[in-house]
Amino acid sequence: MIRPSDRLQDDEGDAQAARLRKVWANPGGWRYWTSVNNTQIGLWYAATAFIFLLFAGVLALIMRAQLAVPGNDLISADFYSQAFTLHGTVMMFLFAVPIFEAVAIFLLPPMLGARELPFPRLGAFGFWSFLLGGIFVCGSIFFDAAPSSGWFMYPPLATDENLSGIGADIWLLGLSFIEVASIAAAVELIVGIMKCRAPGMRINLMPLFAWYLLIVAGMILFAFPPLIAGDILFELQRMFDWPFFDPARGGDPLLWQHLFWIFGHPEVYIIFLPSIALMAMIVPTFAQRPIVGYSWIVLAAVGTGFLSFGLWVHHMFATGLPQISLAFFSAASEAVAIPTAVQIFVFIATMLAGRVIPSTPMLFGMGGIIIFVIGGLTGVMVAVAPFDWQAHDTYFIVAHLHYVLIGGMLFPVIAGIYYYYPLIDAKHLSDRLGRIAFWLMFAGFNVSFFPMHLTGLLGMPRRVFTYPDDVGWNGLNLISTLGAFVFAAGISLVVLDVLRPKHRQRRGEQNPWNAGTLEWISEPKENWGVRSIPFVASRYPLWDQPALARQIGEGRWYLPDAEEGRREGLVTSVLDARPEQVLRVGGTSYVTIISALSLGAVFVALTFKWWIATMVAATVCFCAIVYWLWTGTAEIPEKAEKEVGVGLTLPLYTSGPPSVGWWAMFITMVGDSTAFASLVFGYFFYWTIHDDFTAGVIGPGMKWPLLSAALFVAAWLMVLMARHLNGRGSIILTRAVLAVGVVLAVVASTAGFAGPWQYGMDPRAHVYAAIVWLLTAWTLVHAATGAVMLAYCLARHFAGRLTKDHDMDIGNVALYWHFMAITAVVTFIVIGLFPEVL
Amino acid sequence: MRLLPKEVDSLWTLFTAPVVWAGHFLICYVSVAIFCAKPGLLSFEFGSLRLGIALVTGATLVAITLSALLAWRQWGFGAHDPPHDDPTRHDRILFQGFATLLLSGLSFVAVVMTALPAMFMTECLR
Amino acid sequence: MLVGCQGVQSALDPAGAEARAISTLFVAMVLTGGAVWLGVASILWFAMRQGRAVVAEQSASRLIFWGGAVFPSVTLITLLGYAFWLMPSLRPFATASEAALRIEVTGRQYWWQVAYHRSGPPILAANEIRLPVGSRIEFSLKSDDVIHSFWIPSLGGKMDMIPGRANRLSLLADKPGVFRGACAEYCGSSHALMALTAVVMEPAAFDAWLMTEAKASINAGGEGGALFVHHGCGSCHRVAGTEASGTLGPDLSHLGSRQMLAAGIIANTEDNIARFIAAPDAIKPGANMPAFSMLPQEDIRAIAVWLKRLE
Repeated sequence: MIRPSDRLQDDEGDAQAARLRKVWANPGGWRYWTSVNNTQIGLWYAATAFIFLLFAGVLALIMRAQLAVPGNDLISADFYSQAFTLHGTVMMFLFAVPIFEAVAIFLLPPMLGARELPFPRLGAFGFWSFLLGGIFVCGSIFFDAAPSSGWFMYPPLATDENLSGIGADIWLLGLSFIEVASIAAAVELIVGIMKCRAPGMRINLMPLFAWYLLIVAGMILFAFPPLIAGDILFELQRMFDWPFFDPARGGDPLLWQHLFWIFGHPEVYIIFLPSIALMAMIVPTFAQRPIVGYSWIVLAAVGTGFLSFGLWVHHMFATGLPQISLAFFSAASEAVAIPTAVQIFVFIATMLAGRVIPSTPMLFGMGGIIIFVIGGLTGVMVAVAPFDWQAHDTYFIVAHLHYVLIGGMLFPVIAGIYYYYPLIDAKHLSDRLGRIAFWLMFAGFNVSFFPMHLTGLLGMPRRVFTYPDDVGWNGLNLISTLGAFVFAAGISLVVLDVLRPKHRQRRGEQNPWNAGTLEWISEPKENWGVRSIPFVASRYPLWDQPALARQIGEGRWYLPDAEEGRREGLVTSVLDARPEQVLRVGGTSYVTIISALSLGAVFVALTFKWWIATMVAATVCFCAIVYWLWTGTAEIPEKAEKEVGVGLTLPLYTSGPPSVGWWAMFITMVGDSTAFASLVFGYFFYWTIHDDFTAGVIGPGMKWPLLSAALFVAAWLMVLMARHLNGRGSIILTRAVLAVGVVLAVVASTAGFAGPWQYGMDPRAHVYAAIVWLLTAWTLVHAATGAVMLAYCLARHFAGRLTKDHDMDIGNVALYWHFMAITAVVTFIVIGLFPEVL
Repeated sequence: MRLLPKEVDSLWTLFTAPVVWAGHFLICYVSVAIFCAKPGLLSFEFGSLRLGIALVTGATLVAITLSALLAWRQWGFGAHDPPHDDPTRHDRILFQGFATLLLSGLSFVAVVMTALPAMFMTECLR
Repeated sequence: MLVGCQGVQSALDPAGAEARAISTLFVAMVLTGGAVWLGVASILWFAMRQGRAVVAEQSASRLIFWGGAVFPSVTLITLLGYAFWLMPSLRPFATASEAALRIEVTGRQYWWQVAYHRSGPPILAANEIRLPVGSRIEFSLKSDDVIHSFWIPSLGGKMDMIPGRANRLSLLADKPGVFRGACAEYCGSSHALMALTAVVMEPAAFDAWLMTEAKASINAGGEGGALFVHHGCGSCHRVAGTEASGTLGPDLSHLGSRQMLAAGIIANTEDNIARFIAAPDAIKPGANMPAFSMLPQEDIRAIAVWLKRLE
């Protein structure tokens, strides 16, 4: 058993605390907004997401008002289309996913006993990207230019310039931008959970919230890239007329549906699991006992994570796929109900085995579950393909999805707000207002949405701006509208409760609910997360290690000081959380905002086809990111090791798999490869739907693609050699080989380009040419990035920032090149040899 | 030769069974999709495809059972009851074993469900 | 079924084989699901209110195993078995079997082009579908512009109409009557205004109707017809027995015999026809037909009167 250090003298302790406080302090004045601290970013993120929620909620109310009576002309058909498109889009992309990122960024570090997530600037960058993208997408409705093709954007409706206008571009580019931010958050969360837990927090002691978030972040990594790949196809068709979804030229609208729903269904669980994760924190606290079935929750989270990728075709049951294909997806859709049932029974079991203390968070949580179970059961029904043939695209589905998302996501999130509010400023939300809000929301919700099950089965399709008065839908719709306003009143009450001034309320004690997990020792007035990083020996340290909170506060555990004036945290091993390294994280900086702004400008300029502005913004963005990397990463510390307290000394620099940077690169490239795999899927998809997939178009031949693949492998070998030579300390040879690597990358790219170019393949003529060009372009863009990375390493080597012992840069670049080599080989073998040879 | 391979101390073993499920699912989906979309390409009957799915399913279930056996061993053959929350390497390993065993169970059921359509469907009806 | 479930567009008031089977499936699932929900809700309620530990950790774990894992697995496998057994029997048309009557429906923004294929040349119509009761009819479903979805809830489930693909659906109506169908896939601003009428008739009446439909209307001549052609309506619309032979818009050969106008949206009256000619966009936002309000009022009226008489 590890024991804490002895207590310091008071003045010594105060001096330590003062130094620590100074290092973690936010800048003052308007520079406050350059803060990258997880507490601030988390709160901004959450507040922004909530504002988007209210905005989308108002759109919903307008729609309900329009549908209150048949034949209503309150709003136009076109405005209605914009409203429901934005409602769905905003709720999914600008509320549900970001709110989980917000909560994770806010809660995870203190919960894991860490000071910060490993890449705070990346978190800030993600937030600013989200804010800009969100304003861009939402703002469009005020110019009557909002997307109006539905949040699923099916082509050909959404690819037709005349039918969809600029709204479709705003959707595609605005959301691609936000997806980039989400993937950044996923990278940060995965690395944070795997590598930045407090010492001793083995994976069997990890708070369940972290388990869920780990799985969800992993899901983002596999779910979002297919959508990004789809966005690329989509935007290439809209901007340059590459016919990916145009059947007249070999394309197929169904490919978009596949890619969209490969994203779209896991997305539902990406939204749902974090909210259930909140419940997994709340229930044990109010049952005043550890959760029963910790391993079962892990089973449920992992199982749901996997199964959710086998469901996507259940959104396409009516597209005319073979029945047996539908049946496979039907099966997986039912299978996913099992882990979901397990989660609910874990809560029930925990409550039965504990003493439940009634409270507002529990009220919201359990109310949510009661609602969610109905949504889950209707989900089981619509997963049965024949029933879905009737229910699909009707109000039955509207009811089902709102039961799932509001019961499974919104109610738990509000439970989370009532539960965690004391962490923000040590004050409480009102129990009484909370209860009133709950009952308004609960009743309003059911009055609004329950009748929709029937409305749908009586034949009312979704996404209709009006309906006739003689089909029998009038009364049900009026009830739904009334319920919606009651529900909205409940939400307003919650908002009121959060916003109302609480000056008079006394600051409460720490840990008001007597919870067992570490986030409850973080002090709202301090920015440092934890005064010292503890050694954790329990799932519920605050219950089982009674002295721990005091010891942490007295600075008797790890890293209680900041002698060098740097923000520091610990890196630990994945399974057993053995301390491995002191990690210095980036502090306050403008570079995040400039990067996000310029990247946002790239997407906005692209939307309006301002090519020059696009180039300028892209250049600024590139420079900002290189500056960020150059000054903020792989920094060589002033000493090799540092004493972190409790008799432990740890290195300040690591490279390769033990380092967080290596993990971030690895995870990013896994996501990148998923997008690439989606494009390759597209290639073979086109092959399956046509008798002759090439339609007589002469392909890129075998010579150039195979040559290019060989050259890329050679370039990859150069990178490996450079890493090896650098490790041996051969300065000149390292530089020479790096330079050769850059040249080879350029030559290989030229060879890759030569294939389709020499044969004069016209990407606008037929989808075969288009997809060959796209795979080639994907590889070439990656090669260009790889070449820039090699040049960067060369520059770092010359600048003395990349040396024999400090080789993080070359290690990470080599990792990139592993993926690069796979991408190039797959691309050129596929386009060179298939379908000719096979 | 040993009946069960050596223990691996890694987080990834947890995902074995679901990955096997995913592989089985993909094989079923892709083979049927190609068979039904390109009738001329594969020169065998739908019945043979169903038989193929049955064989793959059998192999998959064996693989998952093996994963379950390994997990069961890692869990000490059930000698220790959950919650496995001691701050020791031993308990961490027991936890991993138990969670892996549960996931193997779920994957087993999911594979059975995925294979069910091949029992009932006899042609490429659309 | 319950009174509240009746209606011309209700999936719970079936008049076809598929709709009937699905409606039964639904009732079975609702009863089971309702029981499950009641069970879970009451145990949750009990757990919330008890205020003391009722069970030991061991039995709580067993509850997770039996309630959370075993029960759903068994129930769901049973449900799946039933569903997979049901599917091929609901939509059984195999590759070889050629149905006696095939109806080709093409979705357009925002109306339906209909062609009846029996022996002989196809018989063209629009926005209204008639079927004989008691025989399985095959539908070929296509689209020329965006994705639509063909759905007559009283008869069966829906099937998408996707550009570049020809989907098939078969329906077996088992009760005569007039039903309402709708486009179920969002297809643009007037998606809500894309409905259709489905008339299920006795076989003999159906055959007679189809015979009439195959010929030009007896009222096809006359002044209204001349005006129709004169003002260029024929470049988009076809009226059998006149020079009008366009295919961009709905076939109007027997417009007068249809129950509804503008794809199931307004009653088929002379006034409504005239209103639609003058300003289609006012009735159907985003409709492709241009407004003809510049025509003399009396010409519009004459055309409307003539069209209404095309039976």
